[in-house]
Amino acid sequence: MTTPASRRVARAVWRQTAALGAFTLREYRIWQSYRVNQIMWLTNIFVTTLLFFLMGRMLTAADAHLMGAAYGTNYMSFVVVGIAVNTFLFTNLADPYTRIQRSYFNGTMDLFLLSPMSIFMPLVGLMTKSLLDDYPRLFIVGAFGMLLFGAQFRFQFSLAALGFTILLLAAAFGIGAISASSFYLLNIKRGTEPVRFIVQQLLATLLAGTYYPITVLPRPLQWVACFIPHTYAFDALRRLLDPGANMGLPVLPVQRIVPWSPLTVDAVALGLMTAILLPLGFLLYGRGIEKARREGTLTRWQ
Amino acid sequence: MMDGPAVDLRAVGKTYPGVELSLRGTKLETLGPALWVKNAIRAARLTIEAAPPVTALADVSLTVAPGEVLGVLGPNGSGKTTLIKILAGLIRPSAGSGSVVGYPLGSSDAIRRRVSYVSTTGWMGLEWALSARDNLRFFAELSGMSPALARTRTDEVLGALDLTDDAYKLTSELSNGMRQRLIMARALLWRTPLVLLDEPFVGLDPGHRQALSDYIRRELPARGQTVVISDHQAEVVESVADRVLILDKGRVRALGTVAHIMQSLSGLIVLEVVTELSDTPVLSPPPLVRRVERRMRPGPLGLMHWRLTVEQGPSTFSAVLTWLSSAGGRIVEVEERRPGLQDVMADSTVLAAEGA
Repeated sequence: MTTPASRRVARAVWRQTAALGAFTLREYRIWQSYRVNQIMWLTNIFVTTLLFFLMGRMLTAADAHLMGAAYGTNYMSFVVVGIAVNTFLFTNLADPYTRIQRSYFNGTMDLFLLSPMSIFMPLVGLMTKSLLDDYPRLFIVGAFGMLLFGAQFRFQFSLAALGFTILLLAAAFGIGAISASSFYLLNIKRGTEPVRFIVQQLLATLLAGTYYPITVLPRPLQWVACFIPHTYAFDALRRLLDPGANMGLPVLPVQRIVPWSPLTVDAVALGLMTAILLPLGFLLYGRGIEKARREGTLTRWQ
Repeated sequence: MMDGPAVDLRAVGKTYPGVELSLRGTKLETLGPALWVKNAIRAARLTIEAAPPVTALADVSLTVAPGEVLGVLGPNGSGKTTLIKILAGLIRPSAGSGSVVGYPLGSSDAIRRRVSYVSTTGWMGLEWALSARDNLRFFAELSGMSPALARTRTDEVLGALDLTDDAYKLTSELSNGMRQRLIMARALLWRTPLVLLDEPFVGLDPGHRQALSDYIRRELPARGQTVVISDHQAEVVESVADRVLILDKGRVRALGTVAHIMQSLSGLIVLEVVTELSDTPVLSPPPLVRRVERRMRPGPLGLMHWRLTVEQGPSTFSAVLTWLSSAGGRIVEVEERRPGLQDVMADSTVLAAEGA
């Protein structure tokens, strides 16, 4: 038998699900209305993968040790994981701020904040366009890498890889929500948003090991890399997916000092980051909305 | 339908904190990291920077009954949009208390489920790559309507706003007026108890303006929906509202039915006078002149247009014309008319607020 409370919860869940569905449908309609964009989208993925294939060809067998024994010897496999993960990681981290900024300036935020849905729903819902755009890249980069450029993967640990991917996406979205919160909380409405810039464009680009293992970095920078989720995700996914990768050989500085297996260290680190960053992101975003309501900066002055 | 008033405000005010754009002459917005650090420090309340606050609304008290249409009239910057955003829960008032659709002003979550809102430039929130119909369906589905109900409601409001023939056009292909009707249609989708319309007639041709006025006047109150509609054009508000609230610099200048407000103007007339270009009159205006407004009349002739609100009396004309003649210019044209809401809006000396 259903109680009034459970009916209320069911209604609220239905409302949020319907809102997310509406966002997804709308973004899909927009995405598929730009036909030329789809061709460019595919071309861009192909060119990016080709670029690293050509760079990979410069590596000789003698250079393979640069990749570190932990990740196998196939540079294309190494870099395909980096590119593929980076594309959708970029979405989760960079998109919330950009989307909130856009809907604020084009006047849609008023309507979203007056719609019967959670104040967090626009944060998630507006991302769906990028999800449609970026998440399939994971598979297309993988397909290009395997079919055209000699990348190889093993799939017996796919489930574990999926688990790490989900943790990574959640942690990255937490950072994305913190970044979006600065739009209202710190009133950063133009230019480069610092959280996103520091994590994505500075730390992740240089230190996370998208295109090279972090062992090529000076030791202090390797420690800095341990403070972003990307580092652990790349490490774990390469160990799980790249053929010839070593599950037991520590690479990251934290793995060298903690007496656990490297994959356990990755899982715990990612889990902790998710547990901290995700609620923190929502908390700060909610605070930002409330502050903007008080100050009258919630919606664009028209 | 709610038991109490749809809107009940008591001494509500809003003061915006001042915005500081520069520090020691350096434009901070050009220095991203500097702005970030400054805002972080301010957010942590480590420093308080004194920039002059702006009072947008002060001491506004009013009640609006369910099913009533309240017009909010005032010049640009008078506080109309601030008032509407407070009612929508988009802005927290800094003073006063009250309720909207039966919920305290601070209950944004409860209020926003019961309010529809059309903002001045709401067309910007439409997705240009989608058709008029798809835009509406998105907002219908956002509220948790079933797909069938969303379709029915969408078709219904498209018909009501004369957009059925344009339903499958992309938003980018619609004229300005059509887009304005589309955002109006969007506000009507949800049938909320309170409909807030902030200058909804912008860009509409006279025919559609009249049709929309009639629709607001006739259909919404019949469904029990309360409407608060703002504009800076008196005739627009006058044609649709049961009562009118006139705001000036954030304060209530008048509140009441159009008849009540016009009654307060009895004994006054407006003289529209055209003179040759002249200096300021050397004499003081006669005491029966309540308000003077003058501007250059466009054109090559060099004429001056005077609008005078004056007390009606046997010597009104002669006193006014003598005064104007003292400026030295010849009087070209004089026209007398009864004052309207537009004159009340512009004249701070005429009326006191109802119940204020």
